[in-house]
Amino acid sequence: MRGSNAVKFFSILLIIGILTWIAAYGSILGFEIPGVKNIRTGIDIQGGVDARLYAVTKDNSKAKAEDLDAARIIIGKRLDSKNIFDRVITVDKEKGYILVQIPHKKGEAFDPQKSIEEIGKTALLTFQEVDESKKDTNGNYLPTDKIILEGSDVKDASAEIDAENGGYCVALTLTSEGGKKFSEATGRLIGKPIAIFMDNELISAPNVQTQITGTSARITLGGTAGDEQRDEAKNLAGLIKSGSLPFKLEARQVNNISPTLGSNALNVSINAFIVALILICLFMIFYYRLPGLIASIALVLHTVLELLALSWTHIIVTLPGIAGLILTVGMAVDANVIIFERIKDEIKNGKTLHAAIDVGFKRAFSAVLDSNITTLISAVVLWKFGTGPIQSFAYTLGIGVVLSFITAVTASRIMLKSIQDIEVAKHHWLYGVSMRGGKANG
Amino acid sequence: MVNLYAKRYYFFILSAIIILSGVVMYLVEGFNLDIEFEGGTIIEMRANDKMFTEANTQELQTKIEDFVEKTINKPAKVQKSTSYDVSGTNTKGFDIITISIGSENTLSNDELTKVEEAVVKEFKLTAKDPVVSEESVEPFIGKEIMNNGLKAVAIAFVLIVLYVWYRFKAMSGLSAGVFAIVGVLHDLLIMLSVYVIFQIPLNESFIAAILTVVGYSMNDTVIIYDRIRENNRLLRKVPLPELVNDSIIQTLNRSINTVVTSLIAITTVYVFAKINGINSMEQFSFPLIVGIAAGCYSSIFIASPLYVMWKESQKKKKVSGKPAKA
Repeated sequence: MRGSNAVKFFSILLIIGILTWIAAYGSILGFEIPGVKNIRTGIDIQGGVDARLYAVTKDNSKAKAEDLDAARIIIGKRLDSKNIFDRVITVDKEKGYILVQIPHKKGEAFDPQKSIEEIGKTALLTFQEVDESKKDTNGNYLPTDKIILEGSDVKDASAEIDAENGGYCVALTLTSEGGKKFSEATGRLIGKPIAIFMDNELISAPNVQTQITGTSARITLGGTAGDEQRDEAKNLAGLIKSGSLPFKLEARQVNNISPTLGSNALNVSINAFIVALILICLFMIFYYRLPGLIASIALVLHTVLELLALSWTHIIVTLPGIAGLILTVGMAVDANVIIFERIKDEIKNGKTLHAAIDVGFKRAFSAVLDSNITTLISAVVLWKFGTGPIQSFAYTLGIGVVLSFITAVTASRIMLKSIQDIEVAKHHWLYGVSMRGGKANG
Repeated sequence: MVNLYAKRYYFFILSAIIILSGVVMYLVEGFNLDIEFEGGTIIEMRANDKMFTEANTQELQTKIEDFVEKTINKPAKVQKSTSYDVSGTNTKGFDIITISIGSENTLSNDELTKVEEAVVKEFKLTAKDPVVSEESVEPFIGKEIMNNGLKAVAIAFVLIVLYVWYRFKAMSGLSAGVFAIVGVLHDLLIMLSVYVIFQIPLNESFIAAILTVVGYSMNDTVIIYDRIRENNRLLRKVPLPELVNDSIIQTLNRSINTVVTSLIAITTVYVFAKINGINSMEQFSFPLIVGIAAGCYSSIFIASPLYVMWKESQKKKKVSGKPAKA
């Protein structure tokens, strides 16, 4: 092995070593880099509840996208108040549902049924007159039940740029009934606060500046103007809007899995994964000998890269996702099989080892490319049209195909080319070619 | 050299037999639609140890059925199955009571809670979390998933044909692409037959399995096409049936070995899932095994020979057309 070749070969081994270390321990030299432990697992592995809350409007019309967003904000708020932070809430605007996934936590007494029911209830929004002398420990006003407006009195709420004072404000549009009630109250309460409650939790308490007549009102926000204020205005508008949602949420698909069932499945699939990896390496080494060994090293690189890709992208890995991962381990060596068979052909045709390896990689390239792209097309289509677990499968499959292409074509090639000059590595037997055979057709 | 092309009808017949038995089973049994497609409610609860004995299983199932029916006034089916806890050092089996309610009676959230609480109380289930899993789906959602799935398969087909058409212009790409798809359709029919014959429930994983096989089966065909394309350039004078036959034989090792490694992987998943009683993975991996094997088979024995037959028939047309013109 000439010097530069040795450097190349051992660099690759070193890179694999470092990446494996990162994947296993999640840090290197004191730097935190997400590893296997940071991979997020789905409800089917971790256990938990997964519910689709459909927006049911009175006249069966499609729920508006911004209304669904408002509902998403309120669901988030409610989960916050229950200290459930590790959750996923996604809105499917086209189909009009909100997908809520809450994983189980160890030692947590948690009734998924009840939680889903609670978070799905339309929030009770009230504008109340408050007693300024009565506050809770956090300095927030307490509800008094002197209700000025209810959710149904508010037609719309949106965050707007405050033209008068600069910064952002929340613009309210009231119904004519709501406008009358609000006019009366704001006339009476000038200089005093009107508190806005969501399920008896204070969300804002602006002071009345002047009597507001008509059906539009605005809430100006204190504090300094900027992104923070804009976000606050958006959030407040979303909360107020969710109190006047023109639909109710109904859980039509509920899926609850206990953590024991899921963790069993995870253990089993990890074992299956390790066994599959070993069996494939054995097969490759048995059949292709030296190149097979190199393919196995490349396969380890491929596997580590895929695990890192999963932990860095925060994609949620589900059971089908793990099945996809294992399947790609099988498919990852495809490219190497295609290339090595080609190299064997070339050796049998009488080419020197050097030439055979060069030509093998070159001629096999089109077959490798075409076959990978067809699989990739399927993965992308699955990703686009699948939901939850299927997307996870599509993702692991797609990443696997891309990585296998890269590792098989580059890593294997560099390693194989860097050892081809070693005297012992020149035996044709090491490439799976029997010396007795003449021209073969393999 | 073996002449596979000459023996093509044997392979066609073998495939036809499998697909026909699938069709017969379909007419007899129909598809087994999973809850995701059909809708309905399934509750799995952990039974007490030794609650079920050989002798009382049937009776106890019926008893629970009647009880559930009385509680919510909707007909239910109850089955006992066994699951395993492999998280500890000693793997231990435990019984699971599965209560299923048909799609026309999908339970509301309230009813779900009511049934669970009532069953726990009535049958004195002692597990800490007696409900292992519960799933409730309204029927219309299944239609949506199904439609999306079919759309996905159709789109994947079109995209792949376009790609093969473009890449294999040298061997008249469109017909090559079309026959590759015929091969894939063959694999899907074989897979569907397996689903029907073994009554594996169709669910979302089914769509994933189908699309994986679409991609994978194309892989194998493309490897052969690639060699045909290359030989086409090198050996212009060799007649097409011989050229294709040679290409298939030359790539046989590759075709088989790529399938073998994938089969090793997915079969390992299947075996582990089967031993440990993880149904969802078992039901996902088994059809994939069949699909991947069928994908290899069809690339060698179906898609390529059909492509040759088509090209030959076109040539004959041209030849027979000539004298008429003259």
